[in-house]
Amino acid sequence: MIRRLAEYADVFISALESLRANPLRSLLTALGVTIGVAFVSLMGWALGSLDAAWESTLSTLGQDMLYVDKWNWAGGGNWRSVMNRKNITIDQAEEIARRVRAASMVYISADAWGKTVVRADKKASGLVIEGTMARFGLLPSTTLAEGRFFSEMEEQHAAAVAVIGDGVRSALFGNRSPLGETIRIEGRPFVVIGVMNKRGTLFTDFLDRTVYIPLPAFFGLYGRYSRSVTVAVKARSPEELGELRDDLRGIVRSVRMLSPDAPDDFAINEAQVFRDQVANIRMVIGMVGIGLTALSFLVGVIGITNVMFVAVVERTKEIGIRRAVGARRSSILAQFLAEAAMLCVAGALVGIALAGGLIAVAALLLRAQMEFLLPFVPLDVVALAVGSSICVGVIAGFVPALRAARLDPVEALRYEA
Amino acid sequence: MSPHSPLILLEQVTKDYRMGSEIVHALRGVDLSIEPNEYVAIMGPSGSGKSTLMNILGCLDWPTSGRYILDGTDVSSLDDAALARIRNQKIGFVFQTFNLLPRATALKNVELPLIYAGISADERRRRAQAALESVGLGDRLRHKPPELSGGQRQRVAIARALVTNPSIILADEPTGNLDSKTGAEIMALFERIWREGNTVILVTHEDDIARYARRIIRIRDGRIESDAPNSPETVEALTMQQ
Repeated sequence: MIRRLAEYADVFISALESLRANPLRSLLTALGVTIGVAFVSLMGWALGSLDAAWESTLSTLGQDMLYVDKWNWAGGGNWRSVMNRKNITIDQAEEIARRVRAASMVYISADAWGKTVVRADKKASGLVIEGTMARFGLLPSTTLAEGRFFSEMEEQHAAAVAVIGDGVRSALFGNRSPLGETIRIEGRPFVVIGVMNKRGTLFTDFLDRTVYIPLPAFFGLYGRYSRSVTVAVKARSPEELGELRDDLRGIVRSVRMLSPDAPDDFAINEAQVFRDQVANIRMVIGMVGIGLTALSFLVGVIGITNVMFVAVVERTKEIGIRRAVGARRSSILAQFLAEAAMLCVAGALVGIALAGGLIAVAALLLRAQMEFLLPFVPLDVVALAVGSSICVGVIAGFVPALRAARLDPVEALRYEA
Repeated sequence: MSPHSPLILLEQVTKDYRMGSEIVHALRGVDLSIEPNEYVAIMGPSGSGKSTLMNILGCLDWPTSGRYILDGTDVSSLDDAALARIRNQKIGFVFQTFNLLPRATALKNVELPLIYAGISADERRRRAQAALESVGLGDRLRHKPPELSGGQRQRVAIARALVTNPSIILADEPTGNLDSKTGAEIMALFERIWREGNTVILVTHEDDIARYARRIIRIRDGRIESDAPNSPETVEALTMQQ
């Protein structure tokens, strides 16, 4: 095997040289592979970005959190019967919170959607006003870019203070610090005391458009019984989540006074409900990506097989010469396989560069709205692309290389182009 | 190798080709023995079977029947890989049309057999350079065949044939594409190579070229017609002219 090292090195070098001799032809031939690899890269990038979005959704919503809600986040269920559900009232919520034992934290929140907030002459609409508890500020996923969250004292006194999402800050304050500034919600003044870190993701993009105020202050604005509230329950550990869900379901049913045979008229939501959505998107991206890639690779295989047949004919004399000075059939086979593989790798590198360029531009343009987008082609995708292009080359080059290897050296030497 | 065994021993070698529905008997039973350090010319008109004989001697082709013993090894039944190895180690080809790789430098061309011999890059470079210097092309190492004259190209080919220290130099019409002056220079080079201890086999249809050899074998219709030593006086005279 050591003896063959010199030969393999030469196979590699001569493959490179023959690419260099016909750069344009090589590039055009490998176009199918180039496009295929670009598709693979884009697919890998999309899936990688999706995973990143999913990860950050999980960590924002908390993997150990359950949310008792009137609505099911993921939709589903009979629309009419869901619409007819009774609100979860603040009294029910407080009763639930009192009864839950096996939890490390419980807080209650209420939301008003599609609201407008005014600051001096500026306006931001389509916002979510969320009344919540000071405890929400203690969650590990609640991190502030500046300022602080409101305290238990401020909560109990319904202080007119607000913590705003990143999107609200940029809409109302631009690059200035909003701390200490006054904003108006439903005409009433609130002092901004904190700004949340950017936390919106693909599935929870509304989070950055949310203004957090103390729950009693929220009731002051919108009334105590006008809306269904949410009870958020944090498990002591993610392992206890299942047990907690069962407990919670029993408690809520009892608080809502459901008869034993009545279906649940509420939902216990968790971050995992987005998993099916993620799986669906993954599948669509994967199918489209694999389909386009397979098609391009097929075109690539046909093109490369053809051009390799041409190359074998063009270099019949060379094959004869190499055979005369000691090349075995397998040496010739290896040489042409290497050449086809190299052609594909070159095509693949162009494809990766192409996809990389597209991704860089896409990330640059879209990252402000979709920060989960990766700005590069993931490395494992690059490895996959190069690996699969080598396979394509070997498949495409096999029959021509076999023909080259089987040439009779006497005939090959006699051949004149 | 024992002193009694010849370098080349052919016993009743035949070669048949199928051409369409016909079978062509290119060789019809050739017995031949060549000792080390002989200088032999194989002559014959086209269609005589001399090219077929050369292909078999050069291990590029298999005899249909009979035995070919090269340097103590029966090569008539070896497989492709083993024959490739024999060609690599024991045979140095020189062709009428030079048969160099056009895009490779002289040095790379001469290195080619050493690549298949598994010689390291440094050693290849050293030996290829030495071979090119020995044929007077020490100043043309980096030139590619299109940048060289016909005579220079044939010298590169000869350097390539010599670089593995083969048992036989097998030259097929080596001056066929050269003018007579250059041809004479090439023949002087073969003379020197022979004097240095190599076995040289020329295949030619030209009497002028065959005259340089010390033994002339004539082929006709697939059989050896005559096999006779060549008069040394003629050779002396020929080489004196150079």
